[in-house]
Amino acid sequence: MKIVVCCKIVPDEELIQVRPDRTLSMEGTPWKISQYDLNALEAAKQLSAATSGSVTALSVGGTAALEPSKIRKDVLSRGADELSLVINDEHAFGDSLETAKSLAAALKDGGFDLVLCGTGSSDLYAQEVGVQLGELLGLPTVNNVTAITPKDGAVEVERTLEDSVEVLEMPLPAVLSVSSEINTPSVPAMRDIMRAGKKPVNVLEVSLDEAKPAVETISELAPEQQERRQEIVEGDGEEAIDALVRFLKKEAL
Amino acid sequence: MAISSVYVICDNMEALAELCAGAKSVADKVTAVIFGDEAAAKSVCGADAVRYCPVGEGASPEDWTGAIADEIKKEASAAVFVNNSIRGRCIAGKLAARLDTAVMTNAADLCEEDGKLVCSRTVYGGTAHRKQAFSGAYGVFTFGGGAFEPAADAAAASDVAVMPGAPASSYKRVALHEKKEVGVNLAVAKRIVDVGRGLAKEEDLEMCRQLASVLGAEVGCSRPVAENNKWLPKTSYMGITGVQVKPDLILVLGVSGQVQHIGGINKSKVIVAVNKDKAAPIFKNADFGLVGDIYKVVPALIEKLS
Repeated sequence: MKIVVCCKIVPDEELIQVRPDRTLSMEGTPWKISQYDLNALEAAKQLSAATSGSVTALSVGGTAALEPSKIRKDVLSRGADELSLVINDEHAFGDSLETAKSLAAALKDGGFDLVLCGTGSSDLYAQEVGVQLGELLGLPTVNNVTAITPKDGAVEVERTLEDSVEVLEMPLPAVLSVSSEINTPSVPAMRDIMRAGKKPVNVLEVSLDEAKPAVETISELAPEQQERRQEIVEGDGEEAIDALVRFLKKEAL
Repeated sequence: MAISSVYVICDNMEALAELCAGAKSVADKVTAVIFGDEAAAKSVCGADAVRYCPVGEGASPEDWTGAIADEIKKEASAAVFVNNSIRGRCIAGKLAARLDTAVMTNAADLCEEDGKLVCSRTVYGGTAHRKQAFSGAYGVFTFGGGAFEPAADAAAASDVAVMPGAPASSYKRVALHEKKEVGVNLAVAKRIVDVGRGLAKEEDLEMCRQLASVLGAEVGCSRPVAENNKWLPKTSYMGITGVQVKPDLILVLGVSGQVQHIGGINKSKVIVAVNKDKAAPIFKNADFGLVGDIYKVVPALIEKLS
């Protein structure tokens, strides 16, 4: 099975600086593979192994995100055989349609059986790019897939909803967004990391003229720090625990 | 009002009243789209019109997205409100692709500014709130429970009809099972015991459950406890990418307090934290903090509060 995994390279949200005026500074913020795309990469690796298939990782983004060889190697150490990149600094990829259209532009010529996406990106978390991509490509698509079993010309997919589990038979090619419950991403072994540097990286020439932003951002600010009383007691002896009990009884029970 | 038409689409009838009230507050005309029969459609209150999409055995609400998109495109411009369930997000994404727009998922603080619908979304795992508006004629929003107040005086619609067009699907459902383990609804819980990685073993959840039972609380957790350890169902983890809660009291045990978790619990009225690491960021977000070992504190609390 020929599998494409869409991966987003995002700023590490734990290391974004907040300025005193609550605006964000990404200066010096390192890039990382979006957390939930690790599940998509792992699912692709397992499916590829089970079907003697291949995995191409695909990412669209700006130069700062996609140029560093460290990031490229990180993606390639997680089961992808090769990496395709669409590097474009004129787009911010700031909404689900813009990103889905950019991926669709890279995939319009087909040549795959299955496209896998993560649940949502660590930065914008719209959880919609996979579904929009599938619809734009005119392919069968669903979200929150928790198991994939290869069949002849199809995949049997388990999709976990809030109160039920659906089993769907999806003809290939198809586009699936996998849930983070589908697997536990494995940590790349030293051997995988060594091999990653030798795998091919293809920078694609793809026009993103069709991928116009659908959303305008009016402002972006860190939330106002909510005032908490921060009454702190140290130690877990009788006295401290009694203070906690008193607080609970007075304030909250 | 500047917004002429809002379509409210719900795969969950319970979410309808709220979304219709939210839609009515910004639009002249509200059309509710439901998945069910005429009788269900007639029970809908708070919309000007109702279109129902019958879903037969083995079929899915998603099959109707093409027909719904065609219906919406008859209007020169419209906003679409969808409930933020897994299926809701699937419908939202498919519709948005057909309407050449994006989805603003889990939107909050909806208002109208200069004739545009503006809302706020949490981005970068809770680090920032992004205020946004759609630039084109159509826009799709999803809203979680509690985004709007249902209207008290909502009446049934007189214009009730079946959705024009037909369902179509490119895949087939082989089976549908009830989920064995259905998580608690933390979003409406009044008291929560929040368990983090400070808990060493799965068996130790028992003492947290005991404490919760003494407090009349539900048990929730941080992401690693559900996603990595799988000690609690995924519906039990709180955070920007999990459940966002607003209880009267949350007792946070052994949680360091990363920004993504805080984003899920910071609407709580009172936050009480126990953690043995004095430098844990959770203490900056707590009303009361005890720097100590949860293995000493939890049994003592059970005893003293029983």
